[in-house]
Amino acid sequence: MMHHDMGASDSLAHRMPPMDMSMPMLPGLDDALPPVGPFLAGQEMDAMMFPEAVPREVAALADGDTLHLEATLVRRTINGKTFVMYGYNRQYPGPLIHVERGSTIIVHFTNNIELPTTVHWHGLRLDNRFDGVPGLTQAPVERGETFTYEVFFPDTGIYWYHPHMREDIQQDLGLYGNMLVDPKQDGYYSPVNREEVLVLDDILMDQHGIIPFGVEAPTHTLMGRFGNVMLANGMTDYRLSVKRGEVVRFFLTNVANSRTFNVTFGEAPVKIVASDVSKFEREVRVGSVPIAPAERYVVEVRFDEPGEVAITNSIQAINHFRGEFYPHVDTLGLVTVMEEPASPDYAADFDRLRDNDDVQRDIDAYRQYFDKPVDKELELTLRVKNLPVSIMLAMEIDTLYVPPMEWNDAMPMMNWLSTGTQVTWILRERGTGRENMDIHWDFKTGDVVKIRVFNDPKTFHPMNHPIHIHGQRFLVLEMDGIANPNLVWKDTAIVPVGSTMDVLVDMSNPGNWMAHCHIAEHLHAGMMLSFSVSDEEASR
Amino acid sequence: MRFIGNRLVPVVLAGLGLMLLGSSPMEPAIDPGGECAFTDPPEYYKIDLIATKRVPQARRSVGVAAVTFVPSPFGIAVSAKGHYVYDLAISIDNLRPSPKGVYTAWISTPNLDQIKRLGVLDDQMSIKGKVTWNKYLVIITLEPSDDASSKKWQGPVVLRGMSRSGLMHTMAGHGPFQQEPCATFGYY
Repeated sequence: MMHHDMGASDSLAHRMPPMDMSMPMLPGLDDALPPVGPFLAGQEMDAMMFPEAVPREVAALADGDTLHLEATLVRRTINGKTFVMYGYNRQYPGPLIHVERGSTIIVHFTNNIELPTTVHWHGLRLDNRFDGVPGLTQAPVERGETFTYEVFFPDTGIYWYHPHMREDIQQDLGLYGNMLVDPKQDGYYSPVNREEVLVLDDILMDQHGIIPFGVEAPTHTLMGRFGNVMLANGMTDYRLSVKRGEVVRFFLTNVANSRTFNVTFGEAPVKIVASDVSKFEREVRVGSVPIAPAERYVVEVRFDEPGEVAITNSIQAINHFRGEFYPHVDTLGLVTVMEEPASPDYAADFDRLRDNDDVQRDIDAYRQYFDKPVDKELELTLRVKNLPVSIMLAMEIDTLYVPPMEWNDAMPMMNWLSTGTQVTWILRERGTGRENMDIHWDFKTGDVVKIRVFNDPKTFHPMNHPIHIHGQRFLVLEMDGIANPNLVWKDTAIVPVGSTMDVLVDMSNPGNWMAHCHIAEHLHAGMMLSFSVSDEEASR
Repeated sequence: MRFIGNRLVPVVLAGLGLMLLGSSPMEPAIDPGGECAFTDPPEYYKIDLIATKRVPQARRSVGVAAVTFVPSPFGIAVSAKGHYVYDLAISIDNLRPSPKGVYTAWISTPNLDQIKRLGVLDDQMSIKGKVTWNKYLVIITLEPSDDASSKKWQGPVVLRGMSRSGLMHTMAGHGPFQQEPCATFGYY
């Protein structure tokens, strides 16, 4: 990989992201820059002025406890480069909040970064006042200001918190953390030797440091900002040592701006247990775990063979210039399996694939709605203006074939130059033609709403979108007309290009909420809508 | 679509020509078969099957292979190596039975180095199967018998088509890269 050096590291200037220089530069774009100003955290200040961030610590909290959470500038060193990033409580990722289901905690949040921010508690069906959406549930928290959140944990599982303002910058620079919610009852999960909370991310760097962001609007708005350095729990060298035969339950979260990972654990057997807001109806064996931005999956892995197992992102990338797929593997971490046998031996429990009656009983109340007519229909599309002509020409050819998923940034120059001032990503309501925040839906508490989402493949630049619905939970009933045989409660689900997804939303939580694409650059290029759930009970 | 239209067919035919000359198929990377049901496959990824007109009973035949993800816990279905895992539902119209054999469906990588026999079309001239390649051909041939052990076809190709990904082609020599010589990048 080479680099077009367009500016010194210590000046606030755009630098072109690293790209494969075996591909020729698009004519006329050699000196092109995104039409937005550059932004880096703590720019023009010496990184040594800031405290060095430390690895995540666990904040084990009981019902009613208080956590002080502060967003600050920190010093980080990644791949030998030291620069300024952000951190919650100076940690990477932010503190792991560990609670029991049914708890409520108080979070006193202080903003000490240079941008206004909020904290969104992703996936929690909490009180709407504390959902952290600026302009909808609260005012932005300006630098030096505070906000107190009451965070309620109604569901077992793994959740995460992050800003809901300029996520493309703030989240990418380290403002994210997990919430691990334990079940109240024993036996909710199978017994395992160990639990690991693993946050997957990527970051875009060159030899000078982090590639600058856009000030007025995001850069990388066509495909989202893909990083070129993989991070697991904020590290490039995540390692885990286990004993032979050990069963590990991984709680996976993808916090990347745009990248969908296809996570593998070598040849170790893997079973999928749970996702965003619940367990699956049935555990099943899987060969890999495709996980889109903001999604979570809980998997159990047994490490039988002594030696080293690489946790990888294993994909078939696309070289758009050559028009080819090619295999690509990133190592996310290494697991060392020791000779010493694990004790206790949970092999028998691991081999048993559970039918989760509790989940099935919960879903039973909603099966009567599976065949109901579609209540709302959305199509996913975009509009562009003022993009360079050569990008328009290249896209005409590039989009002869559009893959269902973009696993890599195969056009980094074009992507970098496309900003939120030129690209509008759109949720369009069929029937009314309304778009994005001109859409507002009104529901009542207890409504069960079927929403159909179609990802239009015949647009200027079709792309997969992870759609997130705030404050509620939903089931993916069908994909392309095929019934989902193994349901799980979700808050975020991927819609591949060309596909139609039907979801059934349990409107159980009153308030004013958002739904949006969780590719950070798409969100900040408009791809969001709002809906209200009134306190009035629906007649069911 | 302007330049692809006259490139796709030669690619397919060149592949089929190689096959008839005798290639050495490798073990295909296909999941075991199973039931799949299609109600609304994505129009965008469906594969049109075009008749070769080599078989009298098939001269007016047209076919389609509907492509959907195999149901998976993740909504999308991909293999551990990152290949998409698809259900295929093949159906042919205007295809009359032939006294010379049975119509058999195959899938193959574009350069025919891997071939998988899906099976004989049913009475409705349809069949279902799975594929874990990102770019592939769908081929219907007229075989002398229903031989499940066949590694490659013996009879004439009746219809054929290519996955939508077959439209993906180098940008060298086209559009904004019109001045880039194809040969520099290995295309001749």
